[in-house]
Amino acid sequence: MKITTLLTSVAAVAVMVLTGGTSVYAESTLDIVKKRGHLRCQVGQPSPGYYNLDADGNWYGLDVATCRAVAAAIFGDANKVEIQSVSSQMRFTALANGESDLLSRTATWTLSRDTQLGLDFLQPNFYDGQGFTVRKDSGITSALQLKGAKVCVLTGTTTELNLADYSRANNLNISAVTFEDFNVRDETYLNGGCDSTTGDKSSMAGNLAAFPVPSDHIILPETLSKEPLAPAVRHGDSQWRDVVAWSVFAMINAEELGISSSNVDDMRANSDNVSVRRMLGVEGNLEKGLGLSKDWAYNIIKLVGNYGENYEAYMGHGKLGIGIDRAGSANALWTNGGLMYSPPMR
Amino acid sequence: MAIVTISTSNSRPPPINEATLIGWMRMHLFSSPLNSILTILTTYIIYLTVSGVWVWGVVDAIWIADTRRECFDINISGACWAGVSAWMENIFYGRYPREEIWRIDFGLFLLFLWMAPLWMPRVRGKVIIGMTTVFLYPFLAGYLFSGGDKGIFMSVMVSAAIVGIIANTLNATLGVLADRSLSNFVNNKLGFGNAPEEKQQKVFLIFLAVCFVLAYIWQSGWQAEIVSWTKWGGLFLTLVISGIGIASALPGGIILAMGRRSKLPVIRVLSTAFIELFRSVPLITVLFMATTMFPLFMPEGVVLNKLVQVIIAVCLFNACYMAETVRAGLQAIPKGQAEGAHTIGLGYWGTMGLIVMPQALKHMIPNIVGSFMGLLKDTTLVSIIGLFDILGMLRSISRDTPWLGLHKEPLVFGAMLFFIICFAMSKYSRHLEAKLSTGHKV
Repeated sequence: MKITTLLTSVAAVAVMVLTGGTSVYAESTLDIVKKRGHLRCQVGQPSPGYYNLDADGNWYGLDVATCRAVAAAIFGDANKVEIQSVSSQMRFTALANGESDLLSRTATWTLSRDTQLGLDFLQPNFYDGQGFTVRKDSGITSALQLKGAKVCVLTGTTTELNLADYSRANNLNISAVTFEDFNVRDETYLNGGCDSTTGDKSSMAGNLAAFPVPSDHIILPETLSKEPLAPAVRHGDSQWRDVVAWSVFAMINAEELGISSSNVDDMRANSDNVSVRRMLGVEGNLEKGLGLSKDWAYNIIKLVGNYGENYEAYMGHGKLGIGIDRAGSANALWTNGGLMYSPPMR
Repeated sequence: MAIVTISTSNSRPPPINEATLIGWMRMHLFSSPLNSILTILTTYIIYLTVSGVWVWGVVDAIWIADTRRECFDINISGACWAGVSAWMENIFYGRYPREEIWRIDFGLFLLFLWMAPLWMPRVRGKVIIGMTTVFLYPFLAGYLFSGGDKGIFMSVMVSAAIVGIIANTLNATLGVLADRSLSNFVNNKLGFGNAPEEKQQKVFLIFLAVCFVLAYIWQSGWQAEIVSWTKWGGLFLTLVISGIGIASALPGGIILAMGRRSKLPVIRVLSTAFIELFRSVPLITVLFMATTMFPLFMPEGVVLNKLVQVIIAVCLFNACYMAETVRAGLQAIPKGQAEGAHTIGLGYWGTMGLIVMPQALKHMIPNIVGSFMGLLKDTTLVSIIGLFDILGMLRSISRDTPWLGLHKEPLVFGAMLFFIICFAMSKYSRHLEAKLSTGHKV
C-alpha cells in the first residue's frame, strides 16, 4: 500500500498545481449537474450504516440519503444520482478533478483537510468518535484499565494514530495489532487474538451487533477523538456549496418542525405554521438564491425523508439499521440536547 | 542342444504389492517404522482439516435464512450460505438491472455459438471464425451489454457481427451435416457451382454484402435500453476485463516481441522501452495512473469512462508480459528454420507467419495459458479502484446490514468459482498441447 499512498499524494499535489486549489470549472457546478441530468455523488467502499449495496444492487445508507436529497432538491427525482464508489486513497483527487460533484462519505472534517485539499466541508450529518470494545467477562469498565493490553486496530487510519496518542498520554503501554480489513480485525478479537478492538463507535456498534453473541461484549464509555463526518464540495463554488449545505439543513429542520415523508403533503396543504409554509414553498421565495424550484425542500422530505427518519432507517433500529441509539448522543436534535442544529430557514 | 518346452509355463501371480490394496499400502505407506509414523500423522492432519471444513461448510451449514442473525440462531458455528445465495445475482451480474440480465446471458450464449465451430470437425474456414470472434463479436456483445444510441460506427459493426454470427452458424451446420462450406453451398444454389474459385469467392462476397445491407436495415429498427457501465459488476465485469485483456494480449504480445527482435533500431528501441517500462511497475500502479493521473491531462470537464481506462491499462500491461513469453518461444526456434524458409523464397512475414511463429506458439502454450490465468486473477485488483468486480461484490456482502460481518463464506465461494474457471483453462491447455502434440511424449 506504500506505493498507492505515494501515488495518491503525487496525484493530489498535481491536482492542486494544475487547478491552483480552486474549482476546475468556470461554469457553476449546479449548471453542469442540471445540464447533465444527474448528480455524481461520491461514496466509499461499502461501510455499514453509511453506504451499502443491498442484494438487488441498490445503494442505501445515511450518506446515500444525502446524495439522494441533493438530487431530489435539484431534479425533483431522488433517483437522478449516480453513486460512485471511490477508495479512500483517491477520494479527494476524484472530487478535485471533477469526477464527482459531491463527496458524501465518512470523511472527518479537519482543519488541514478543509484548508489544504481545495475543498469545503459542510454541515456534519453524523458525529462520531473513537472508542474501545472489550469482552464483558474481562471485567474492564474503563479504557484506563487497558494497561499493557493488545488492541486490534485498522491500519492507515487516524484511529491508529489516536490510539498511540491516547496510550502515551495515559501511560498505558498499549500494543497495537493492525489489520487492513475490519472483518479480519473482529475475527481476531473474537478468537482471543487481542484484548480489545478500537474504531469509530458507530461502526463498532454495528460490528458488535453482528457478533455471534453481542451481549458478551461492551463498548467502553471513553471517547478518544472527535470525528464530525461531513459532506464536502470543491472549494470556490459558493452556489453549489449552498445547494448541498441547505439540502442537509432542510432534512434537519424538517425533523425539528415535525415534517416527515408521511405527513409532508398534509403539512403543505393545511399547516398554519409560517416556518413550515415558508420551507415547503407555500409562502415566500427561499428558492431564489439557491437556483432551485419552489418545492425543493418539499421534494427532499417527500422523496428522502427528514434526518430522523433516515437515522432510524440506517443507523438506528430500522430493518436496515445497525442499531445505534440516538437519544443522548451528539446526533440527537439540539432540542433534545444533541448537536443537530439547522440555521433558521427564512 | 536346445531345451524346448511345448506348452507355455503357468504365469506366476503378480507381486503381492501390486495385486491387493493391503499389499500396496504395506509397500508404499508402511515400509518402515518412520514411514508408518509419518503416514499415521499425515492421515490424522488430513482428517482434522477435512472433517473441520466438512462440519463447518456442510453439516452445520445454514442454507436458508433472511439475516445472519437467523443463521446464528439456528447454529452458531456453521457456515451461513444463505447470505451468498441471497447475493447470487450481485456476484454474477453486479448491479446490472435485473430485468435486463438476459442480455448478458444472451451475449455469453452468442460467444459459445460463435466459438463452438472451432472445436467441430469438418467445419471449413476456422481461421476466419477465430478472427471474427476477436474482431466482430466484441462489438456485438459490447452493444448488447451497454445499449443506447448506436451511431454510424456501431451500426456498421453490429450489422457485420449479425451477418458474421448467422454465416458462421450456417457454415458450421453445413460442415457437420453435409461436409461442405457455406460459400460452396451458396454458389451451387445460385448456379455457379462449376465456376472458377475466384469467381465463387466474388459471388460469396456479394452474397455477404446483400446480407449486410439487410442486417443494417433490420438493426436500425430497434435499440437496446442503455445500461451505464457503472452498473456492470460481479463475475460479468471480471470476465469482460480479462476477456478483452486475453483477446488483445496475444496479438499485442506477438507484435511487441517481433518489434523487440526487429533489425530496425527505432522499432526495436521503442518496443524494448515500452516492454521494460510496463513490466517494471506493479499493475496496481498502472491502474492508479490510468484512473487518477490520466484525467488531469484531459481538457476541462471531460470525464473519461473509468472502465475503458482500466481495460486499456490491463491490455497494455499484459501485452508486455505476453511479449516476453512469445520472445522466449521465438528464441527457442533454431536459426536454421528461418534460414530454411529464406531459401525457399519466403520473406519476413512469410517466415514469421508460416514457419517460426506457429512452432514458437505451440511450445509456449503452457506459459501463455499460465499468464492468462494470472491475468484473470489480477483483474480482481480493480476492486481497489472502486469497480465492483467479483471480489468487490464478495467483500460487500459483509457490509450489507442483514449480513453484516459475513466474510468467510463469500470468499470461500469466490475461491471455488476461480478454481473452476482456472482449472477449466488449465485442462483446455493440456488438451491443446495433446492435440498439437508438442513436447516429448513419454
